[in-house]
Amino acid sequence: MPRLRTTSELQGLRRRIRDRVNRRGVGITVCAGTACQASGANDVQRVIKRRLIERNLVDRIALRITGCQGFCEMGPFVVTEPQAAFYPKINTRDVPRIIDAVVSDEYVDDLLYRDPTTGTCCYRLDDVPFFAKQQRTLLGRNQHIDPIRLFDYIVQGGYESLAKVLTEYSPEGIIDEIGRSGLRGRGGAGFPTAKKWEMARRQDGGEKYVVCNADEGDPGAYMDRSILEGNPHSVLEGMAIGGLAIGATEGFVFVRHEYPLAIKHLLIAIRLAREYGLLGENILGTGVDFDVSIVKSAGAFVCGEETALIRSIEGIVGEPRQRPPFPTEKGICGRPTCINNVETWANVPIIIAIGADEFARVGTSTSTGTKVFSVVGKIKNTGLVEVPMGTSIKEIVYDIGGGPLDGGRIKAVQIGGPSGGCIPHWHFDLPIDYDSLTRADAIMGSGGMIVMDDDTCMVDVAKYFMSFLKDESCGKCFTCRKGTQRMWEILDDITEGRGRLEQLGLLEELGRVVADSSMCGLGQSAANPVLSTLHHFRDEYERHIVDRQCDAYVCSGLTGAPCQAACPVGTEAWRYAALIARGEYEEAYRVIREANPFPSVCARVCDHKCEQHCRLAATGQEPLALRALKRFVTDRVDPSVYRPRRDSDANAAGKRVAVVGAGPAGITAAHCLSLKGYRTTIFEAEDRPGGMLVSGIPAFRLPREVLQKEIDALIDENITLRCGSVLGRDFTIDGLFEDGYDAVFLALGAHRSQRMEIEGEDSAGVYPSIEFLKAWNLRGESLAEGKVGVIGGGNSALDAARVALRQPGVSEVTIFYRRTRQEMPAFEEEIEAALEEGVKLKLLVSPMSLHVSDGHLALVEFIRNELGEVDASGRRRPVAKPGSEHRVPLDTLVVAIGEEGVDATTKEAVGVETRGGVVIVDKRTLTTGRPGVFAGGDVATGPNTVIDAIAAGKRAAEVIDRYLRGRELRQAAEFRLPTAYVEPADIEMDEQCQTSRVRIPVLSAAERVHSYAEIESSLIDQDAVGEAKRCLRCDLECTRCLGDDDTRHEPSGGHG
Amino acid sequence: MITLTMNGTAVRVEKGSTLLEAAQFYGFPIPTLCHMEGLSPYGACRLCVVEIGDGTRSRLVSSCTYPAQEGLIVRTASARVVRTRKMILELLLGSCPQSKTIQDLAAAHDVRQQRFRQEYEDCILCGRCVRVCEEQMMAKAIGFRGRGENRSLGTPFDIKSDVCRLCGACIYVCPACQLRCSYTEPEEAICGGCANLSPPCIQTNKFDDLMCYLNPCAACEIVPR
Repeated sequence: MPRLRTTSELQGLRRRIRDRVNRRGVGITVCAGTACQASGANDVQRVIKRRLIERNLVDRIALRITGCQGFCEMGPFVVTEPQAAFYPKINTRDVPRIIDAVVSDEYVDDLLYRDPTTGTCCYRLDDVPFFAKQQRTLLGRNQHIDPIRLFDYIVQGGYESLAKVLTEYSPEGIIDEIGRSGLRGRGGAGFPTAKKWEMARRQDGGEKYVVCNADEGDPGAYMDRSILEGNPHSVLEGMAIGGLAIGATEGFVFVRHEYPLAIKHLLIAIRLAREYGLLGENILGTGVDFDVSIVKSAGAFVCGEETALIRSIEGIVGEPRQRPPFPTEKGICGRPTCINNVETWANVPIIIAIGADEFARVGTSTSTGTKVFSVVGKIKNTGLVEVPMGTSIKEIVYDIGGGPLDGGRIKAVQIGGPSGGCIPHWHFDLPIDYDSLTRADAIMGSGGMIVMDDDTCMVDVAKYFMSFLKDESCGKCFTCRKGTQRMWEILDDITEGRGRLEQLGLLEELGRVVADSSMCGLGQSAANPVLSTLHHFRDEYERHIVDRQCDAYVCSGLTGAPCQAACPVGTEAWRYAALIARGEYEEAYRVIREANPFPSVCARVCDHKCEQHCRLAATGQEPLALRALKRFVTDRVDPSVYRPRRDSDANAAGKRVAVVGAGPAGITAAHCLSLKGYRTTIFEAEDRPGGMLVSGIPAFRLPREVLQKEIDALIDENITLRCGSVLGRDFTIDGLFEDGYDAVFLALGAHRSQRMEIEGEDSAGVYPSIEFLKAWNLRGESLAEGKVGVIGGGNSALDAARVALRQPGVSEVTIFYRRTRQEMPAFEEEIEAALEEGVKLKLLVSPMSLHVSDGHLALVEFIRNELGEVDASGRRRPVAKPGSEHRVPLDTLVVAIGEEGVDATTKEAVGVETRGGVVIVDKRTLTTGRPGVFAGGDVATGPNTVIDAIAAGKRAAEVIDRYLRGRELRQAAEFRLPTAYVEPADIEMDEQCQTSRVRIPVLSAAERVHSYAEIESSLIDQDAVGEAKRCLRCDLECTRCLGDDDTRHEPSGGHG
Repeated sequence: MITLTMNGTAVRVEKGSTLLEAAQFYGFPIPTLCHMEGLSPYGACRLCVVEIGDGTRSRLVSSCTYPAQEGLIVRTASARVVRTRKMILELLLGSCPQSKTIQDLAAAHDVRQQRFRQEYEDCILCGRCVRVCEEQMMAKAIGFRGRGENRSLGTPFDIKSDVCRLCGACIYVCPACQLRCSYTEPEEAICGGCANLSPPCIQTNKFDDLMCYLNPCAACEIVPR
């Protein structure tokens, strides 16, 4: 074996290998890190090998199998050289074409990476945004190194730094160099590496040790593994240099036994380095001895703590001890021991090679160099990211990470694993360095970065980490053992609906004490996940406790079935689906009607929050078509099968309530009050009831006879309807009280369109959307003509555009929206339907001014926008691009940029406080500043959905009832948990199960564009039952565990 | 000799002594549970925490393990220390309400409530028994196993140990189970004024061959049925 005896022999070897490597540098690199192997890299690699042999290309094309290159989301991927083309997510069928392309020095365009935002093809690896925005000092080398080949490392300049320090540096010189580089420990705490080495060096002679801490245990973190797998020699070289600096001759790599590939590569690397005289006795003939051995950790998280790690290496139970003495004084077997993280060691040869000053140029003044983060969670580009210290979280998450998954909104990032903290999205400008993170209640940790979106519950996250820590705490010191257990208990109480508000104070108090008084780093940082989520997301904790609602629908104690928990009126959606699957349609209708007085309306126009949170979607399928199922039932069943329960209460009989506004909120409130025995009068400004349902929603979405039938059924003998009476003109609130009404419920809706406040807005041909829609829906007037433009991206803009399209004399309709389609607040299916009908969509434009000729609108000047920084809503802010102004000729312009509830005259008549056009109410009791006056629906929230208005009406009825009985208005929220057990429908063995979401039958675009007939129609029996059987029945988790003795959970309808 | 500042007073102690020893010598009271003279310092109960350092860099350390250092500023009863001790005692009460030692300590520190889910454990895992067995009896018959909340104490594989000489030292040194609060609802009464002489740990058959060093002897009062 050619053992290298001098440093010049090493250089000679490097020269010889360089000459031997094919000079043209033609090759294929396959990433075979653990993540890529899991997604099929081994098959790709075998096929490439076979293909190269078959085509006799082995000598011309070099195949390199590397460790992790970082872009794990795109695995398995290959990079070809010299083109540096990046082919993501390839499968074995693509291999021949890629090899052909390498032979002819070309690209396979359709396999190349495409930028998801612009759609452009990225020809070179460096063009891929994920790589382009990183500085890959450590990870970049993985691409050029086959970890089981020493020569690959030597060609890349490997062991040159070791040779340099052996011949040119004194131990003090090495430490001085590292000190000037400003390198700080990458394991998390950020202790200056040179200071630690100096402390170890100053200890008296005798045996000393260096240790590489590769006990990477943070959930979601795998940087250390990737470095060990991809470039093990760099760690060995760093350790040898460290050993030389402190005077140690022995080193240990303490690595998790769950990292088999890392251990394998490390063992091969150690063996090769020994064979070539780069480790072991008399390294490179300089008389220096240094050898490394591997200690496999059994997997206890606490063994990553240095004092526990030492005990584990010694062979006894891994429990920390109180420091001092520090390991640099008394470590393994009482000898001075210098422990550093994998990444720290891997940085050492780089510092020696490029020089301390060059290294310190990257990063911030207190945190130098680059840091590798593993970015995982609810983000597009999962993988390893290496950036200079001081890079903001925003850059990592949005620019490199690619932003949220489709439909998500990033809420927070958890940094530093179980010991770290959550950084909320409003702090994403925070630069990532040791000191800024500490100030933000987080720590760098080893570099795990878990991205969370709206579907993540912060209480659940804290509970998860606490559950991890209570199991992984060694249990030696009392505060850590008991404290983590108690914190978990409190969090469990909160997520199960047993929480009390005072427990939040206790949680904080306990967290502080655990952090303050625990023995080792694990306990001292154990409270961070709780304290940081409590600090930034206290409202979420309070919502769990007070409203008993988990907005991410993950806490099982508060969310039996997400569809039910997400519904503002608490409809047991799973239940009617289950009943449809069993063919019990009438019972299904009763379930729907029990919660919702407008079942047929909601079956057509509800925004179906139930479907948005359906767990089928989380399992990779499409959500259950619950709204279509509801439509199926309401179309088939006669409403008379449901008889509402009436309370005839003597106390209620004498009381009268005035409801202002006959929209969904007002009618629901009147109906529920009537069931309780109150007499109500509804005052409506228009000449017919229905509110926004009739004036805002076009008939082709909600047929008028369906709406009328539903309203007629709700107006009973206790309710008087007075149409054409306008608040402020015909009556006042004071007048109502004088007339003997005992309470007033304001449900006026939001009928005033917001203005754009630009020049020419009042000229003929420009209409606010509500005025435009009302003219058509209530009076049948067509206001649009010629070329029509609609400004806005909400449902009211879509409705206006679709109505305009159906009006006579309209040649084309275009919607102008300032952001992109993903950000349009309108329902996706509405946008889709409008586009099918021929509505045009112009995105990223804002109106600047209107130009009038002969008193009528003629031209609109628009400016183009670009997407800028992410704003408070989590969406990218549109920024006007100067010089992109352009004019569009338009005859009609409908402005649909939002609505508000209250104008000056009604405000005066109402006499309650308003802010931004809405009445200020207490969200839970709907009380206004004035006793006896309540408000709900759009007038109190701004433009909102039908189902939220119905929910407000129901709540108002309950609160007004309590008010009139003189009871406490504020009540603990009710659980929205399944209340009945429904036996799952039998599925025959030979029955073909429906696997994809049912298609709702609709009229074709050509049929509907000039008609006002309803577009959607009902499902047929077979489809509805098949669709209902797709339901995962999340409720069973809940009804099953509640047990048989609970009387609420009797089998329904005698079928149990 | 080393000079340090303790509660504002300059104190001099021998090199190698711990902060706890220094405080005890000068008469500053520090409550302890896992500490015992003659056994190696362990630092597990955290009751003996003191505040060292000054200003923003001050921190809490267990005084039984922390060596006295020249010029160190130590506070044995600062607000932060007292707050921490009270929480630790509250946690102890939540787990072992029957222990008279813990009840007395809690009463002495003015702990008036226990806000956690009540548990009834006998052992606080202070490790005195393990250390006395290893260091004084040279037996190593018992030790800890498990991690976190599953940590417990016992002989290897829970079988009778060959090296155990049934000396009873482990029971003798136990700070938690020596004396039991006899009130019917001990978790309700943090009174500190009771005495009960029937430790449940010796009421099981396992310890029939045991010679008890408890004074007064508790086992003798148990009439076998």
